[in-house]
Amino acid sequence: MTSNLPGFLFAIPFFAAIVIPVVGFTNQKFCRPIALGALVFLSIVSVIGLSEAVSHGPLSHEFGGWAPPIGIEWVVDGLSGLLMVAISIVSLIALVHAGPLVEKELSDRVIPFYSLSLLLIAALGGMVLTGDLFNLFVFLEIGSLASYVLVGVAGGRSLHSAFRYLILGTIGASLYLLGVGYFYAETGTLNMADLAQRLPEVIDSRAVLTGLLFIVLGLAIKMGLFPLHGWLPDAYTYAPDSFTPLLTSVVTKVPLYAFVRIAFWIFGMTTVSTQIPILVVLGWVGAVAAIVGAYLAIWQENFKRMLAYSSVSSMGLFMLGFSLGTETGFAGGLFYVLADTLMKAALFGVAGAAIYQCGASTVTDLVRLRRNMPWVSTALLISALSMVGIPPTAGFFGKWHLVVGALEAEKYFAVTAILVSSMLTALYFFRMFQRVWAEPLQLVEPHVLETPFPIRISLGVLTFGIMALGLGSDLVMGLIFESVIPKGF
Amino acid sequence: MADILLYRPHFVAFIILFLLGMYIMVVNPNLVKKLIGMYLMQTSIILFFIILAVKKDSTIPILLDSATALPPEAYANPLPHVLMLTAIVVGVSTLGVSLAMVIALYRQYSTLEEDEILGKMK
Repeated sequence: MTSNLPGFLFAIPFFAAIVIPVVGFTNQKFCRPIALGALVFLSIVSVIGLSEAVSHGPLSHEFGGWAPPIGIEWVVDGLSGLLMVAISIVSLIALVHAGPLVEKELSDRVIPFYSLSLLLIAALGGMVLTGDLFNLFVFLEIGSLASYVLVGVAGGRSLHSAFRYLILGTIGASLYLLGVGYFYAETGTLNMADLAQRLPEVIDSRAVLTGLLFIVLGLAIKMGLFPLHGWLPDAYTYAPDSFTPLLTSVVTKVPLYAFVRIAFWIFGMTTVSTQIPILVVLGWVGAVAAIVGAYLAIWQENFKRMLAYSSVSSMGLFMLGFSLGTETGFAGGLFYVLADTLMKAALFGVAGAAIYQCGASTVTDLVRLRRNMPWVSTALLISALSMVGIPPTAGFFGKWHLVVGALEAEKYFAVTAILVSSMLTALYFFRMFQRVWAEPLQLVEPHVLETPFPIRISLGVLTFGIMALGLGSDLVMGLIFESVIPKGF
Repeated sequence: MADILLYRPHFVAFIILFLLGMYIMVVNPNLVKKLIGMYLMQTSIILFFIILAVKKDSTIPILLDSATALPPEAYANPLPHVLMLTAIVVGVSTLGVSLAMVIALYRQYSTLEEDEILGKMK
C-alpha cells in the first residue's frame, strides 16, 4: 500500500532538529518543549504506522514518484514498524529524563544537545525505514556523526572516547559501503526487494560472499559485537549522563536491525544458514560475546562501565538468538532486543540520576540511593532483576524464548551460553544488591533527596514498561509471529 | 595473480590505498595523521566505485540528438558517480567533525599524540 507515512516518520524529528537551533537562538527555553512535542507526535505516528502495517500489510513510499528498483523506497512493515515504535517511545522517555541532567552538565550546550539528539533519532528512523542499501549507509553515517558529537559534547575524557568511536565507526561504515559496492557490481541494484530477487542467481559468486562479509564486519563494528566492541566501553562510560540512556538503548540496536534485514530478508534464512553459513559463525561469536561480556562486567567498579560490558553481553545474546535458525529463536531475539531497549534506558537512567543527585558513580557509592530515593532504587531493582532474568519481567521472557528456540534447534552450546551468561549477570547484579541493600547504613547521608520530577517519572514509566512487556509478552510474541517473521523459516 | 596486475591494475591500486589508509589510521599515534589515513581509506572506496563504472571509449549519459538514444554500451554508468557524490559529502562531514574534535582535544591537552593524551588523562 502506498502512503506518505514513512516520510513523516523521518520528517518530524528532522524538522524539529532544524527548528530547535533557529528558535533556541533567541530563547533557549523553547528547545526542550519542541523536542518533546516532536517526539510525542513521532510516537503517535509510529504507533499508527505499525497498526496499519500489521492490519493492512506493509506501507511503502516512493520518493519523488520514481518506482522502486530505480527510485528510493521506504517501507513500514512489521519489523520496521515495531523497531520504529520502540525507538520513538524510548527516545521520548530518554529525553524527558535528560532534562535536569542537561541543565546541570551541559548548561551552555542545550541547543546542540536537543538538536543533535533529534537528528540522531531521525537518522535511526531513516535506517529502519529505508528499502535501499546505499540510503541505509547515508543514514548510518548521519546517525553516527550525531552520536560521535553527543558522546564528546561534554569535553574532558569523553572527547578522547568520542574520537576513538569516530575512528572505529568510520572503519565500520567504510567496510559497509565497500560491501554495498560488491553487491552493486554483481547485481546492478541497490533496492533491497530487487536485490532479494536477483541474488539467488549469483549466490555462488565470490563477489557476493565478499560483499556480505564486508557488510557484516562493518555492521558488527557499529553494533559493538564482541570482539569488535573496542569503542563501546569508553564511549558508554564517559558520554554525558544525559545522553547515555539514548545512546545505549537504541544506537547499537539499529545496526543490528540492518544486519537482520540484510541476512533474513535479502539473503533469506536458507542462504545464510547453508549456502553462505555466516549464521554458524555468528552463533559462536554471539555465545562467546554473551559470556565474555558478562565476565568482564563482574570486575568493573564503575557502574556505567559495568553496564557497558553488560551491553556487550546482551549484543551477544541477540546475535545468538537470531542465529539459531528457528522461529522461536528469531522471535525471542527480537523480543529481547525490545526488552533490552527498555532495560538499558532504565539502568543508564538510574546511573545518570545517581551521579546527578549524589555523585555516585561506582557500584559501592550506590548505597546512597537506598534511603530517600524510592523511585530510583525501585527502577534499579526491577531493571536489574530483568537483566538477570527473574519472572515476571521482560528480560525473563526474552531469555525464556531464546532458550526454547535453542532447544528446538538442538543447539546445546547456545543453551549453555545463555544460562552461563545469565548466571554471570546475576553474579554482578547481586553483588551490587548486596552493596546497596545489605551493608550497614552508616554511609547514607541524610541530606540526599529524591530526584526531580522528570527523572522520577521517566524511570517510573520505564520500570512499568519492563513489567508490562513481561506480563504482555504473549501479545508481543503473537504480533512478532504473525507479522514479523520473514519467509523461509 | 599476475593477470590481476596486468589487466586490473586499478583494483590493485584500490587495495593498496585502502590498506595503507587503514594502517595509518590504526597504527599512527598522531591524531591528524590518523585522519589523513581515514580520508585516504574513504577516497579509495570512491576509487573502487568509479572503477565499476569505467568503460573504454564511453561518453556521458546524455541524449546526443533527439532522434536516437545512445545504446547502453556507449555511455558510462552514471549511478556509481552519483552515489560517490553522496559518499564524498559524507566523508567531508566526517572529516569536519573529526577535525573539530581534534581541535578540542588539542586545546585541552595541548598535544596531538594519542599516547601523550592517554598519559595526561591519568
